[in-house]
Amino acid sequence: MSNAIGIIYANSAPDSLQGLASERPIAAVPFGGRYRILDFALSSMVNSGIRTIGLVTPHHYRPLLDHLGAGKAWFLDRKDGGLFILPGVFHGLARNEHTFCIKDLQNNLEYLHKDFAENVVISSGDQIFNINFKLALQVHSDMQADVTMIYKEMSNSTNLTNEMFFEMTKNHKVSHIDKKGIARGKLVQPYFVNMLIIRRELLIDIIEKYSSIGCTDLIDILTANLGVLKVYGSPTCSLIGTIHTVKDYFDRSMDLLNLEVRGKLLLGEDRIHTKIKDNPPTRYTLQAKVSNSFIASGCTISGEVENSIIFRGVILEEGCQIKNSIILPKCHIHADAQMNYAILDKSVTVNGENVLKGSSDSPLVVLKRTVI
Amino acid sequence: MRKQECVAMLLAGGQGSRLGGLTRIRAKPAVSFCGKYRIIDFTLSNCSNSHINTVGVLIQYKPFLLNSYIGLGSAWDLDNPYGGVHILPPFMSEKAGSWYNGTANAVYQNYEFIDYYDPEYVIILSGDHVYKMDYTLMLKFHKEKNSDITIATIEVPWEEASRFGILSVDEDERITKFTEKPSQPDSNLASMGVYIFNWSTLKQALIADSKDNQSQNDFGQNIIPQQLKEAKRVYAYKFQGYWRDVGTIESYYQANMESLRAGHFLNIFDPKFRIFSNEDILPPHFVGSTAVIENSLVCNGCVVHGKVSNSILAPGVYVGKGVQIKDSILLPYVKVHQGSRVYKTIVGENAEIMRHCIIGTEEENASDQEGITVIEDNHIIPVDSVIEAGTNV
Repeated sequence: MSNAIGIIYANSAPDSLQGLASERPIAAVPFGGRYRILDFALSSMVNSGIRTIGLVTPHHYRPLLDHLGAGKAWFLDRKDGGLFILPGVFHGLARNEHTFCIKDLQNNLEYLHKDFAENVVISSGDQIFNINFKLALQVHSDMQADVTMIYKEMSNSTNLTNEMFFEMTKNHKVSHIDKKGIARGKLVQPYFVNMLIIRRELLIDIIEKYSSIGCTDLIDILTANLGVLKVYGSPTCSLIGTIHTVKDYFDRSMDLLNLEVRGKLLLGEDRIHTKIKDNPPTRYTLQAKVSNSFIASGCTISGEVENSIIFRGVILEEGCQIKNSIILPKCHIHADAQMNYAILDKSVTVNGENVLKGSSDSPLVVLKRTVI
Repeated sequence: MRKQECVAMLLAGGQGSRLGGLTRIRAKPAVSFCGKYRIIDFTLSNCSNSHINTVGVLIQYKPFLLNSYIGLGSAWDLDNPYGGVHILPPFMSEKAGSWYNGTANAVYQNYEFIDYYDPEYVIILSGDHVYKMDYTLMLKFHKEKNSDITIATIEVPWEEASRFGILSVDEDERITKFTEKPSQPDSNLASMGVYIFNWSTLKQALIADSKDNQSQNDFGQNIIPQQLKEAKRVYAYKFQGYWRDVGTIESYYQANMESLRAGHFLNIFDPKFRIFSNEDILPPHFVGSTAVIENSLVCNGCVVHGKVSNSILAPGVYVGKGVQIKDSILLPYVKVHQGSRVYKTIVGENAEIMRHCIIGTEEENASDQEGITVIEDNHIIPVDSVIEAGTNV
């Protein structure tokens, strides 16, 4: 049994995902044919043996709760522990730079008080990854650390929107945290991947001391107290897919057509769990022409599909051409419609002979339930 | 405990020896069907969709995989605080115990289970039929006719009637005659092996049957004919819809292939009457750039690089480059490696076909079992093998 509980911040403010995150938090954006982005953080925790997970929710949490239910698909419908919904504070402003806002936890202090676990694993809920936290938990306990921050060695050129890197001494003690800084000279730096382990008692202390100040970021508090706290780093080699823009979303999705990426994310021992829909198998008719695509269950495919991601229950009629596109659940593409570099949100209907065209730099996003 | 109106007894203990290699390591109800399902999913989903949430599953033959598949029944929403799914294996009592000896005997040995729920009605189901049926309609009919026993029936083609238990009815749908597999059928109304009994009637019949040394303790052979003889009110409920007994290799193959047809009667795509299953969680399937897929069903977790036509790929199947799969059923986690060709074959779970094998033949030839080749679960076919059509490996 793991001696840790989890907290996932599923309330990161919608950035520039255009329509995809207008009615849902980023964590609830569908991804990879049958998943939602949150599934990756949630499954990583569950696969690490964590069975008590608190989810910090934003104000528009309906799609999240719809997806999660009682948490059964993640084995979180439990007597001992389970899934807890931690309503986040209502941020007055839509844009918010915080990673882990302390105020969000202050309202939910009871969640931390009533458990007996030694540690809390905190992760953001807007990244694509498959990490087993057991290694980091081991480092945390071996070092008798107060905080263990998970990092990945990445080069400067890596396209990161949330650049936070740190410096460590030889024994992996974090000596300096740089938020939004520029790496000095070095090509490869340990970048913080928005996941950390903290002692539960310490976290409660911090919340009680700092909550009066307002919305303070846990990372800022750690930065300010590096001298008195034992903060260590623990490495990961998992892929970390951050999704802030439509292009990020498009690129991370298309990465799934790469076997190496699928292998690391989806095909290992630790599976990504998701809501089960019990769809029938996908049916291909005689007219179907499909190549290099990732296709979920319950679809009926009669058209041409190339380099695309097709979600559950999509109907593609004869003669339609889908190229380099992402089609979310329950879309219906009528005969002879064409699309290239398009992202269709749920339940979009495209009538015959329409042509939708985006580009690889700015894919065309079609909003939920649109009829074209 | 809360009294239940209707308890289902699901007969799932048979060996299914006519399915050969497919039931070597598992009971027939646990055999994969139509890609993502297992045969028992249909009956359990029917129970769930008919709000019958107390189900006793009578098991006997190689039960482990079946038991682990059913679990608490939560995959079918049957994990209910009042009732739920109960696995009922043969057991010992104070003095003795015995194996289930016939379908009626299996239910007889579990009469305490039924008494515990004290139902008005008991519905007897079979775990090896593929159909979608709302049992509440049949129960309504049973009550309207004030009958003791109601048998679900379906019209079969006259030429096939001699393969079934055939019923003759009067104008009120009351059954006048029941013949098991008649050579000269005088009706084409076949029993589906689905019975609703008043529990009081069934209990008496089972007790009487257990005392009869001549009896084979079978519902179709003994209980029903005996009850007709005793002039009980036995009615035929006419079911309209798709129903298949998948007890033989040929019928199993045909029923699978029928699901490929568009607008198929067994509408698995119907969201109002869903067939649930206890599936492994797998990612979506990947179709490679060299793949061709025509008129086929493909499940989650598959990887396809070759050509697949007129076939069913169950979850987790791998089809390598240059492979041809035609008119075949690949059960879960089958791997077919580069350059192999597979025609009209049922490939058992986890079986692996190495490179450049030829299984079955493309030509139409009516050899054994209609030319259907069967490869047993977990079997590995070595490189360059040639397997003749119609054989069992």
